[in-house]
Order: sequence, then C-alpha cells, then structure tokens
Amino acid sequence: MLDSFNQTPFLHTVITVGSFLILTIGLVGALTKKNLFKIFLSFAIAETALFIYFIGMHFEVGKVAPIVTDEVTNFSLNMVDPVPQAMILTTIVIAIAILALALSFIINYFKLTNNMRVDEMNELGEER
Amino acid sequence: MSLKKDIRVHTIFVSLVVSIMIILLLSLFLNFELASDTLGTQILNLNSGETETANAVTSVVTYFRGFDTLGEVTILFLSIFGIGLGLEGYKDKLNIFAYENQLLKIAVDVLFPLIIMFGFYIIIHGHLSPGGGFQGGVVIASAFLLMFLAKDDEFSLNHKIISLAEALSGVGFILLGLLGVLLLDRFLGNFLPLGSMGNLFSGGLIPLIYIFVGIKVSAEITALVEYFVRIKDVR
Repeated sequence: MLDSFNQTPFLHTVITVGSFLILTIGLVGALTKKNLFKIFLSFAIAETALFIYFIGMHFEVGKVAPIVTDEVTNFSLNMVDPVPQAMILTTIVIAIAILALALSFIINYFKLTNNMRVDEMNELGEER
Repeated sequence: MSLKKDIRVHTIFVSLVVSIMIILLLSLFLNFELASDTLGTQILNLNSGETETANAVTSVVTYFRGFDTLGEVTILFLSIFGIGLGLEGYKDKLNIFAYENQLLKIAVDVLFPLIIMFGFYIIIHGHLSPGGGFQGGVVIASAFLLMFLAKDDEFSLNHKIISLAEALSGVGFILLGLLGVLLLDRFLGNFLPLGSMGNLFSGGLIPLIYIFVGIKVSAEITALVEYFVRIKDVR
C-alpha cells in the first residue's frame, strides 16, 4: 500500500497542492494583516511555496542527488536536475536580502512616525 | 443596506474568479512532465570531464552560472549597505536580545570556535558534499549571533576587519574572473589544474570561488545580525 504513495505523479500532486496552499496562506496574510512586519513575513512564507514547488517538481522516484559519493560513482541520468537547485539557491539568498532590507525600512518608519499599521499610514495627508 | 449588498456581490465575484483561476493554474501545473533531455543532463555530462567537481550543484552555481553568483553576492552586499545607511549609529545602541545566563556565557566560549570551524568545513567542502559558500557563511554568522545573545557589551565586532574581509573577498572573486579572461577566453575560465574528482584539491577554480563567496557572505550576514541586534537607543 505504501508503494502506491511512493509514485512520482502522486508526489507531484501533493507538492503542487501543498505549495499552492502555502502560497495562499502567505498571500492571504499579506492582504489581510495590518501590521507591516506580518505583511513582509507573509511574503516570506509565500516565497517558500515557490522554493518547494520548484525543487519538488524536479524530483522523481528513484533518482538521487547530483553528487558523486562512494555509492554513486559517476554522473548519470539517474540523478535529479542540478539547475533548479542552483537557481533556488540564488533565489533564497535574494529573498533574505530583500526581507532584511524591508525589515530595516519598517524599523526606520516606526522610528520616524511611531506607527506600524498600514491602515493608519497618512503621510501623504489623504482623507480618512 | 444597499452598500452591504454591493460588497457581498463583489466578494462573491472576486472569489469565483480567483477559484476559477486557481483551478486552471492547478490543472496546468498538474500536467507538468519532466523532459528527458534538459540542460541539467547536458551539465551532468559535462561535469565529469570539464569541472571534476563531485557536487554538480556547486559547479552550476560557481562555474556555469558563476557570473550570476557574482550578481547575487552584489545584491546581498547592496542590501546590507542600504540597511547600514538606514540604521546608522548602531555602535551607541543597546543589544536588546542579550540576557543574563551564566550557563550560556560559559557554553558559548566552547561552542563559538566549534561553530566557526564547522562553517569553514562546509565552505571548504562545498565542491564535494552538500553545502558551500552561502550555507557555511550563514553558519559562521550564527556563531556570532550566539555571541551577541550570550555577551551583552563584552563582545563587539571590529568593523574594520569585517569590511576588509568583505571587500577583499569581493575583489578576489572579480580578480579570479579577470584572470580567466587573461589566461583563457572567458570570465571565470578555469585556468587551474583540475585534479581528480573527489579529492579536496579538485575542480580548479571552483573551491576558491566558493571560499571567497563564503567569507563575503559570512561577513555580510554578521554585519546584518549586528544591525538588527543593536537596535534600541540609549536613553
């Protein structure tokens, strides 16, 4: 019975639906929360959905990591694609950089205005 | 009353559109099939002859996409630079995360060199095993975070050394790339002897690039940690 779960189409379905759920959680958090910290952390959650989808969909049952070890002695077709993993490594670093920059902007904004809520921002003097 | 009805119709319409789009997207994504002959298989074939690195992801990051990695490190540097411009005067600020715990204070003296050594191990073996410059750099920065947590004012970073390490490693990365232009035909060309796969001294330029990236990332993330830990004004 467990073999039927360990099939590539089933795992791809689970990864697709799960990453969509995580993306939904992140986007709903970003759209409904009023605190600036929570908005940007929700974006960080939504980014993880991208990472999971990109790496998970390039996995197939029976394939191994693209690393030569004592057991796997040469590069062959029995390895997963290394390019998505390298691209996601780039994406993770850029996500960290952007999240850190956004958090520093929030801290500066809070120091200037003593306010961290989106619905109370009124620096442009708009009508309530 | 009419306003309330408008909002409800609007909400129902939007949720319908969103659910239809999600169903369309899901049906599109669920039909995804891996191609048998991709860029990845070509790179795996090239890897055994041209780069001799045991970890194919490392050869993609630092060799086949080495120029992208330079841009990535530059983005990280610019982000930390922007944070430093915004949160200036951090030297006179209080460390809000430190707390008095004698156990942590004693344990950190033992753990700090071990974590630094583990981080350098991950950086140096990036072309042989999972890991590399970015991962090891973050591990080294976590050692400094532990120091900030344990020691309040007894520990402070020497910013000259950090910015020097950051600048020199960035310059080293670019110099390696320019040496590839001078000695071979392209930026980041592999002009060093390749060695045999699986040894520590193999892969030519790739371990050197990852060591530079690791030093740069660890210095940047350590500076980032200090910016966010020392945040409260002294009053």
